[in-house]
Amino acid sequence: MRWLKRFIAGGKEKEVIELFKEHINSVKLSCEIFTKAIESGDKGLLTEVCELEKTGDAIRRDIALKLYEGAFLPVMRGTLYKLAETIDEILDTLENTAVDYARLTSELDGDVRELCVKVAILNTKMSVNLMEAFEALGKEADLSDKTIKIRTREREVDAIKREIYKKLVKKEVRSFWEGKILSNFIDGLVNVSDIIEDAADLIQILNVSLR
Amino acid sequence: MLAAIAAMLIAFSIGSNDTSNSFGISVGSGVLSFRRAISLLGIFVMLGALTQRNVMYTVGSLAELDTLLLSISLFISAFIIIFSNWKRLPISSHQAIVGSLIGAGVVAGSARLDILQSIVLSWIISPVSSMLLAMIIYSVVERLISRLPFFIAERTTSFLLLLSGIVIAYNTGANELATALGPVVSSGYLDATVAAILGSILLFAGAVLLSGRVVETVGKGITPLDAFSGFSAQMSAGMTVFTFTLIGMPVSTTYCIIGGIAGVGILKSFSSVRISLVKQIVLSWIVTPVLSFLACFIAAGLLTL
Repeated sequence: MRWLKRFIAGGKEKEVIELFKEHINSVKLSCEIFTKAIESGDKGLLTEVCELEKTGDAIRRDIALKLYEGAFLPVMRGTLYKLAETIDEILDTLENTAVDYARLTSELDGDVRELCVKVAILNTKMSVNLMEAFEALGKEADLSDKTIKIRTREREVDAIKREIYKKLVKKEVRSFWEGKILSNFIDGLVNVSDIIEDAADLIQILNVSLR
Repeated sequence: MLAAIAAMLIAFSIGSNDTSNSFGISVGSGVLSFRRAISLLGIFVMLGALTQRNVMYTVGSLAELDTLLLSISLFISAFIIIFSNWKRLPISSHQAIVGSLIGAGVVAGSARLDILQSIVLSWIISPVSSMLLAMIIYSVVERLISRLPFFIAERTTSFLLLLSGIVIAYNTGANELATALGPVVSSGYLDATVAAILGSILLFAGAVLLSGRVVETVGKGITPLDAFSGFSAQMSAGMTVFTFTLIGMPVSTTYCIIGGIAGVGILKSFSSVRISLVKQIVLSWIVTPVLSFLACFIAAGLLTL
């Protein structure tokens, strides 16, 4: 009865869990690369962010397939797929933001750059917290301490966002497109933390779905 | 020979209609594929039929009937069961068989009303005890599972669903199939072991050929219940029927599952229990044995004039 052993061990479920870890790890790597790119101003690094987005798409498709094949109880498959989509959205946002950063026609001002680096570092820390929260699904019954960290960091990012905009409104731009691309870049960068928070909420929903 | 054929028809009909009792939830929730569910059903039904003889003995002792009366009563039971399955009426095969045997027994003057009394009492007690047991199981399991990490809780829930399905499959052989085979075994037309093997094969054939639609309907219908409710209802029914099997009482798994679902429903919110559906089930509970009794009583009376 090989299938029974596989059933008890949760073979399909384990595969999905590993795919999710890989997916979240892609987010972490992408955030780290992004931080390095802003810190160093090396826009060449950003091609790796685009590669990670493609990897993320492939992982999301694999997760969908495994769930369709019967991994996990149906009651939680919808939330699991939504989680995969949300993680993918983080990678999409990072990619779009990377493209905007590469298109910036002028360098970021020193203090704005510093604030952007702070946001990028917070995004990286939040991705680490997201991984911790996901891993805790297999170890702990209560995830609130993990998700609280993410929410706290998201509030920090919101505060920095307000500071950045305060500085940006004083900045003169040479053309509409320069201003738009800069605005898109800032919006994208701060939006990553919102989506990571959404993913954390979904993990919390999963955790209570069997209670 | 005719009585044995009628018993096998009933076994086939149980397979086509009652497979959903054991693995409907597991198939509906994706824990098992239909093919795997049918294989497990075949194995555990045969195990149940081969290891438990108490119900066979009780039903076989309900009335001493000659070949003609036994054949009439089993054919009438088979007709009522198959007709109800076709019309999708929620009836219990036990009640049809017991009602028919008593009908023929009264004509023959051999009906054992003391045994009938115990059986009817079991029919009343079993859904109620399943309801109470479901409330206990739900409360305990919910508390235990809520202390487990999510992934472990999910595996545990899937395993519990499978386990409760296996218990019900075992009961299908030990109680439901035994009820159909009891009269032919006690009359000496078939050896108990041969009857158990043949009955299990026919039941398996019914499940393979005709149960797909019913399993799907029950699976989809019950899946909106959360996993714990499904498990609690199924496990309480499984444990109740198993207990009654040990004391040799033929009781309906379907009614016990309904009792279990009602128990969980009451625990969550009394208003979620559909009173109209309960009324319909109670009506069927009364009509099925009375109708079987009357049909068999009249047919047996006319043929033995």
